[in-house]
This record gives sequence, structure tokens and C-alpha cells, in this order.
Amino acid sequence: MRIEISRSGGFAGMTRTWSLEVSPAEAEERWLPLADRAAEAPQEEESRRDRDQRDRYVYHIVIGYQEVTLPESRLDEPWKELIDRARRGSTG
Amino acid sequence: MHPHCSIVPPHLLAHLAAVDDPRHAVAARAARRALVQLDPLLAGREEAFAAPVPPRTAVGRPLERRISDAGGQEILPGTLVRGEGDAATGDAATDEAYDGLGATDALFRQVYGRASIDGAGLPLAATVHYGELYDNAFWDGERMVFGDGDGDVFGRFTRSLTVISHELTHGFTQYSTNLVYEGQSGALNESLSDVFGVLVEQHHLGQTVDQASWLVGEGVFTDQVQGRALRSLAAPGTAYDDDVLGRDPQPATMSDFVITTSDNGGVHINSGIPNHAFYLTAQHLGGFAWERAGRIWFDAAVGGGIQANSGFRLFADVTQEAARVRFGQDSEEHEAVRQAWAKVEVTG
Repeated sequence: MRIEISRSGGFAGMTRTWSLEVSPAEAEERWLPLADRAAEAPQEEESRRDRDQRDRYVYHIVIGYQEVTLPESRLDEPWKELIDRARRGSTG
Repeated sequence: MHPHCSIVPPHLLAHLAAVDDPRHAVAARAARRALVQLDPLLAGREEAFAAPVPPRTAVGRPLERRISDAGGQEILPGTLVRGEGDAATGDAATDEAYDGLGATDALFRQVYGRASIDGAGLPLAATVHYGELYDNAFWDGERMVFGDGDGDVFGRFTRSLTVISHELTHGFTQYSTNLVYEGQSGALNESLSDVFGVLVEQHHLGQTVDQASWLVGEGVFTDQVQGRALRSLAAPGTAYDDDVLGRDPQPATMSDFVITTSDNGGVHINSGIPNHAFYLTAQHLGGFAWERAGRIWFDAAVGGGIQANSGFRLFADVTQEAARVRFGQDSEEHEAVRQAWAKVEVTG
């Protein structure tokens, strides 16, 4: 299954896109449940610190039927691993 | 550009003029008079005698910089490696950040009479060497944070003074207009950082409107990228054109306004429009951009007329009013601002 990652914002304001192929089993066991939880999670109230951050990245991740948008400050370790893998395997 | 006839540099005069210690009242008064004589544009304008530095903007606590090192981890603030007055460390990012904070503070404090980003002498904090191959610089609400770049597209972010001044101006905006970071208000937030970002560099280098590059982020790309910088206020949309990264997407006029959900609604994209309005104002007026065009934008930012959710039109109105108040109805400055906003199609 193909996972598409788009990163916008940052100081440069450039949008970069990366993608990677994972097996259907890996997608269903690791990434789709993570995306489902992120998509269904109620919008948390922004902390003052998050609200005042400027020039940080915003990630838009598409995994099969699911899409999630995550500010850089909310990326926890599984997402970082996914993004690192996509960046290492992409030229874009 | 007007000639500088005084042996005392203008920034020092401005500093002296702002001193409110009664022991130095005579020197402060003399400095205010010298500033007026120095700048024929201000001669005869009674407000210049009264307030070359705005009233109630005390110089306040002196500059205090604190540079920390994250050691390649994504932790903040990291370990303090250089405080105010400490000798250079020999680490390029640390020393560039230290010097860049000083240059930014100099513009706000010496030219506009604002003590630090909050007007009350807030210490300026930065963290360098953030993350591993981290390809960004950002403001976290309390400090500037600089990555070393990925070495592929971006090199060290502190290499460009405009990156440091851009980030610190986000702090100034947080303590003044606090424009919401989304859509047009977010693009204005970004534009203020670009405008004062380039003004810091011009002031630091003593460049006139014609001598300045008007580029943001010059030198942060690696040699592998086809581009001079990240943004151009003089010619939005022309800063880079690279096979991999694509072309600088900034518009210069409202006809090319970009509607998008990415980048918080295109805050780094549509900022090209108010950026270009500032450039056109400065170009119309000539000389040192921080003196008149920059003063008008500064007055607008601290004057209370800009709301957190302001769009381009309100911002245009507030800058025109700021020009009218400081320089007079139908003055050259008022006309320059009016024409600039019309050229970028924000006003009719």
C-alpha cells in the first residue's frame, strides 16, 4: 500500500512530498490504526505554546482511505519513523 | 539618501535621544536636535522634536542574549553556551545567532526605541544545533530555534542574518499585533517578519533601498539548489527555480493570490503581496528603508489599529493612516504607501 506524505510550511514555506510502499499487513497493523486514532481524536485545545509557534511544518499524510493533518509539534515517534522512512526512500 | 554630517552615528544619536535619565537630559535633548538636523525630512515637523523615539517606549533593560545548544537532539532549550558579553565560542551557529540577535535588537532599540521584542527588555533566547539534519528554523513562542540543515537542500540556517531577524520579528509580532497564523492575517504575520528581517540586514550593512538585495534567506540553500534565496520582496516569485523544489510560488499582486489549505492557508506564499507593497513604498521614498517606510510599518504594528484577524485591506488602511499621522496628509510618504497598496491591488 502506498503512503503519501506532504509537508508544507516551515521557514521556507516550501511544500515537499514523499511516498513509500508498505505491505498491506504493515499498513493495517501499524499505520491505519494510528491514522484512524488521529483522525477521530477530538480537536485538542491548543496549548498557548503550540498557538504561538511560527514557521513550523505541517504534515498531511494519506494512507489508503484515511487522511490526517498533523502539526510538527504533535508528531510522536511512530509518525517520525514513517516520515524518516519516506524521506530516505524518496528523491522528491 | 541624505548625507551624514555628524561624527556621532545616527544609531547612537537615537540611543542617546531615548535616554530618560534626568542626569543626561541635556545630552538627550541635544541628540534629539541633532537627529532632526541630520534628517532634513524630519526638519520642521514638530513631532520629530518631541518624539524621534515614541513616548513611553523606554530603552529599558539592556540587551541580554542567551544562546543554547541542543546538541543535535530535538530538545529545548538545550545547554547554555553563550550569554551576554561572553566571548565568541568559535562555533559558527552559536556566534551567528548571538550576532544576529544583536543586529535585530539594534534596529528595534536604536531606530524605533523599542527595548527588545516586548518593549520591556525581554532577554533574547535562541537554540542552535536543534535536531539531526533538521531543515528548518522556527519561533516557538519563547525562543528562536535553528537547525543545521539537511545538507542536501538547506545548509545552516544561521548563515543568513535575515533568517535570524525574521524569527525574532515573530516574537515582536507576538507582543504587538499577534496576528493569527492562518490565511491573510497569517500572511501579514509572515510579511512583518520578512519586512523587518530585511530591514535588520539593511540597517546592519548600512544599505540604501537601491543597494539592498531585498532577499530573505540568501545563502541558506546548498550549492545543489538553483536559487538565490527563499523569498524576494522586490520580485516575489523569482527567488528560486529548481528542478526538484520547483519555482518560488509567491505572488506580487492580488490577481495571483493563492487559495490553498496547506501552509496554514498559504501564509508563506501570499505574504509576497504585503511584502511587495512594503518594497514599493521603500523604493518610492528611496534612501534608507528603515527610516520612513520601516517607521510607518512599525508605527502600524504597535499603534493598536491592527486586529489579530486583520486582512490585507485593513492592514493597508492602517499603514496609510500611520503614514498620514507621522508625515502628514498627502505627504510624499502618505502617497507612497497609498500607491504601493494600489499597485499590489489590495486597494482600488
